[in-house]
Amino acid sequence: MVKLPLRISRRRLLRSGLALGTFVIAGSGLAFLRTRGYVVPPERAASLTSLSAWQWVFVTHAARRIAAPDRPADSSIPTPDDVDVAGFIDDYVGRMPHELRRDLFRAFAYVEHVAPLRRGYLSRFSRLPKDDQDEVLTSLATSEQELLRGAFEGIKSLVFMGYYRDARTWKILGYDGPFVGRPVGGWTR
Amino acid sequence: MIVRGRELLVDPSIDVDAVVVGTGAGGSIALRELARAGLRAVALEEGAFLGPRDFTQREDEMIPRLFQDMGGRMTEDLGIRILQGRGVGGSTVHNTNLCKRTPDRILDRWASEYHVSGASPSAMAPRFAQIESDLSVEPMPSEWQNGNNAVLRRGAAVLGWRGGPLAHNRIGCQQSGFCELGCAYDAKQNALKVILPEAIRAGADVYADVEATRILVTKGRVVGVAAVARDAVGRPRSEVTVRAPVVVLAGSAIGSAALALRSGLPDPYDQLGRGLRLHPGAVVAGRFDRAIDAAQGIPQSYECTEWLSFERNSDKRVWIVPAFAHPIGTAAALPGFGGAHMAAMRDYNRLAVLSAMVHDETSGRVAVTREGRPVIRYAMEDGDRGQLAQGLVASARILLAAGAREVTIPGVFPVRATREAELAKIGPSLARPHAVPLTAVHPMGTLRMGDDPRRSVVSSQGEHHQVRGLFVADGSLFPTSIGVPPQISIYAFALHLAPGFVAAARG
Repeated sequence: MVKLPLRISRRRLLRSGLALGTFVIAGSGLAFLRTRGYVVPPERAASLTSLSAWQWVFVTHAARRIAAPDRPADSSIPTPDDVDVAGFIDDYVGRMPHELRRDLFRAFAYVEHVAPLRRGYLSRFSRLPKDDQDEVLTSLATSEQELLRGAFEGIKSLVFMGYYRDARTWKILGYDGPFVGRPVGGWTR
Repeated sequence: MIVRGRELLVDPSIDVDAVVVGTGAGGSIALRELARAGLRAVALEEGAFLGPRDFTQREDEMIPRLFQDMGGRMTEDLGIRILQGRGVGGSTVHNTNLCKRTPDRILDRWASEYHVSGASPSAMAPRFAQIESDLSVEPMPSEWQNGNNAVLRRGAAVLGWRGGPLAHNRIGCQQSGFCELGCAYDAKQNALKVILPEAIRAGADVYADVEATRILVTKGRVVGVAAVARDAVGRPRSEVTVRAPVVVLAGSAIGSAALALRSGLPDPYDQLGRGLRLHPGAVVAGRFDRAIDAAQGIPQSYECTEWLSFERNSDKRVWIVPAFAHPIGTAAALPGFGGAHMAAMRDYNRLAVLSAMVHDETSGRVAVTREGRPVIRYAMEDGDRGQLAQGLVASARILLAAGAREVTIPGVFPVRATREAELAKIGPSLARPHAVPLTAVHPMGTLRMGDDPRRSVVSSQGEHHQVRGLFVADGSLFPTSIGVPPQISIYAFALHLAPGFVAAARG
């Protein structure tokens, strides 16, 4: 059993408890507010198996920047929405081991809610303009803190897996795709 | 017979002469030798049983099925990604068929410095020869070198550096270029295709989707293994108990150590899980004006050994080989994101990529979380970082010598060069911690062999120093890195140690 040091008076203990309680309530309130207001189309909301509403919105926005086209005016380049990167990630995350999934969700929360604050933005990542989103992502990719870089790399890897899995994107690369199941005329016709 | 976890409807209790944990290079040989000796033997494999029809050549489908943690296994500090196999056949299913023996100087060093007895080059030579025969190992003909390998050969030749063709275990290869996603053409002569079927024909059983959770020990003697059988999506289905007087661990340097730690095995000299080597590497990409088509053809058929020497205290500890990936792997490896990243991806067919892998002296450690999952601790030492920087610069020189317009060393701040003179400015700081993304595919050590129990976990015969009947037959045996791909060494050491665990199982 842990003995409290005798120097801590009852008054000090009460004050500390009050401060801690205020902190927890404020933190919970902030967390509550920051996870409200996410809008997911009803048909999508009904099909999500792993991601919550805010996570789906975040992943959708992160994918749009990470897999942004090099030629924005070129309509032949599939967008991350076209190939449903967020839907892929929803399914993929559901098959992850529990601990990996937990770490990934923490990374989502950090990038959506904390990383913008550290760059001086009061908005969530998903509500920032594109350029500001890019700035936040760049700050993570080049961070001196390896955990933050690791968080970025993990999200980047998932997004690119969701994007480049789709045969429509292979034309960009000149990649012929698998031989197994290849349609007559090839994947990228 | 192969039994899947989902087929185990009740909690089975199995009584056999020996149980093998893991079905990769070491586990398959252990199982085969036990069965051929007329013993009742089973193997437990935590991953699935997949065959050529399951190998779709799609990264998004195969990476999560063939690799630990769905391909996301990392060291604790997130500094190194570890690609490690999972499933019947282990890493032999996804590897690129590289067959190299343990270098003689490494075997000599193990004898003189780590008190490993009975594994001299002359003692091991027949074991290697047997395995090479079993797996139909042959040197790759030069006409099978794809564009990426030809770049390595040409660049090394221009520089006058040592290199040569690699030997592989493949028959009927279609040169599709999808080796790392499992062979859809069943051309790999590996544990899955060759050794495990031999074991099964000799009477052994393999339980897939059955994860060993604990080694059972009573009064200093192993008595079996507790395991959990899972269904097709990984949900626990039943508790499995295998009772056996001999247990052979062959779940890899990470998996076997984690199981041993979870089981609370005696460890009076704090050796369990120590001595982890990863043979880590990083890549350099060269952009050419012409098509290289590196994704097509056999991925790795040529090596450069100019910077690799197994002499003691050598300052050349880097092995250079081609390394290329399909789009998802390439996209993850290329630096940056967004439009600039897609612009770089447009050069996909004009990229050649080389990997510099360090014959490492860093000693890491495997621990476990409260839930029993492995934690991989590995902080690369300065000497190895210097070697890595040297290897990356050497790889860049090869690419430029072969005609690359520009080379890129991916990293937090990527390094680019168009002329060899620019590379001269690059120093060891290139490979400072977390500066370049590292990947490891050859974990070794953690349950090291040797006759001195103060410096090893198992004896030179592979038996645990404190637990009778518990043997090890995988890469965790190795006291040091071997500096080359370990599959042949693991197969051969399992064969070498087999007489010991066969005799123990006979009682």
